[in-house]
Amino acid sequence: MMNGKKFGAIGFLIFALVFPFAALPLSQGQDTHNRDKPGAYPEMSPLEHYLMDRNAEIALARSAAPEALSRDATILVLGRHGYETALAGKNSFVCVVERSWMLAFDDSEFWNPGVGLPLCQNPPAARSHLPLTFKTTELVLARRSRKQMFDSIKAAFDQKELPMPEHGSMCYMMSKQQNFGPKFGKADPHLMFWFPQPDHMAWGADMPDSPVDVHQYSPQPITEFTMSVAKWSDGTVAGANQR
Amino acid sequence: MNSNRFVPLAAFSLALILAFAVPGRLAGQDNKTPYPSMAPLEQYLMHRDAEIALARSAAPESISHDATVLVLGRHGYEIAVEGKNGFVCAVERGWMSPADAPQFWNPNIRGSICFNPPAARSVLPVTYKRTEMVLAGRTKAEITDGNKTAFKRGELPALEPGAMSYMMSKEAYLTDDGDHNLAHLMFYTPPLDGKVWGADLPKSPVMLNPQFKGAQPIDVFIVPVGRWSDGTPAPVM
Repeated sequence: MMNGKKFGAIGFLIFALVFPFAALPLSQGQDTHNRDKPGAYPEMSPLEHYLMDRNAEIALARSAAPEALSRDATILVLGRHGYETALAGKNSFVCVVERSWMLAFDDSEFWNPGVGLPLCQNPPAARSHLPLTFKTTELVLARRSRKQMFDSIKAAFDQKELPMPEHGSMCYMMSKQQNFGPKFGKADPHLMFWFPQPDHMAWGADMPDSPVDVHQYSPQPITEFTMSVAKWSDGTVAGANQR
Repeated sequence: MNSNRFVPLAAFSLALILAFAVPGRLAGQDNKTPYPSMAPLEQYLMHRDAEIALARSAAPESISHDATVLVLGRHGYEIAVEGKNGFVCAVERGWMSPADAPQFWNPNIRGSICFNPPAARSVLPVTYKRTEMVLAGRTKAEITDGNKTAFKRGELPALEPGAMSYMMSKEAYLTDDGDHNLAHLMFYTPPLDGKVWGADLPKSPVMLNPQFKGAQPIDVFIVPVGRWSDGTPAPVM
């Protein structure tokens, strides 16, 4: 999952305006005050705080990609025992709202229940990257610590229980309601591309004025490129922090 | 064609890139190409310093500053500046379009492009090969066939994973239509159904470009960006 460092000060200012609203879909019964404070969640909150109304979660998941794509996608929702299929699709895309634990293990928002990360994975990614979401969520629901999760994920990749990204794996993250937490807010609409880390290659990422960022989240042997795009999934222009 | 995309975009129609980068969508709109054959070679050539600057403008300066820069000479592309970051910047001409592109021989086309290292190794050779055939006086059909044959014979390398390129020059000229230009990145993959990337759907930022159609098994996906390489805002489509 992207770290969003591209967004910088502008993103933070925008966050200040939108975060109280962006956070609403998740954990509505929870005290929202803490969500505004970076690192306010050192431990996992009660599971209920991460759950959503089913219909709201379906809508949020679908908003990750243009409607022409997401209307035919499979939609997953998070239940008490993991992700489950809410709607079976027919274009082999899978849309899901990832939670804060799909951020980097050392991210200060790792347990922030206000974080909501809708994305629609294309068929190669749904086959080869979505299992990482399932595995991580399974560990969360089993109440593993971050350290235990890190070790389990590393072992799963080492033992090839988790697949490497298939060629052409990518996803859409274009929801206007996405929320990366206090630091980055809803950030930019963007696409993400995944590669096996041994294929790490120069994309000109993280260079000044480049629209591309690169992330490598240990222990995943995966290189993730993110590329900002100009519009949200509903076709509206992204705004000042777009680059 | 995805008509929904175009309705609000008259001022910045996709047409501006279609002739060069996505010719398939426009091919049926204009059967009378104004450029039926190759113009005199001089019309495709540029002042050397201007071509270097135009090539570099394809990517942010932080990338192109250390890139190798090519210029087109009378005998093909030649290295004008040796780089050190593995990127290669060049100004492609109309013949890097598919054979059915109406502006294949348009001498005004200036496709500034910076290839990342995998693309420089595995896609740029196609540019060399096609340009070599152009300078040898080959026809469009011969160029397409020659491209295909060269690949089959192993004279052109297989596509490397992660091959991509920058086309973010404000000064590029990609088509006679519209605003002539579009800031975008291109991603090269083995042949995929465009649906696999959600390409060409309404409001999708991804477009499938048949640049190598019929010549080589490479798909090209285009994703527009909101800024030119100099950091200034680009028209949003």
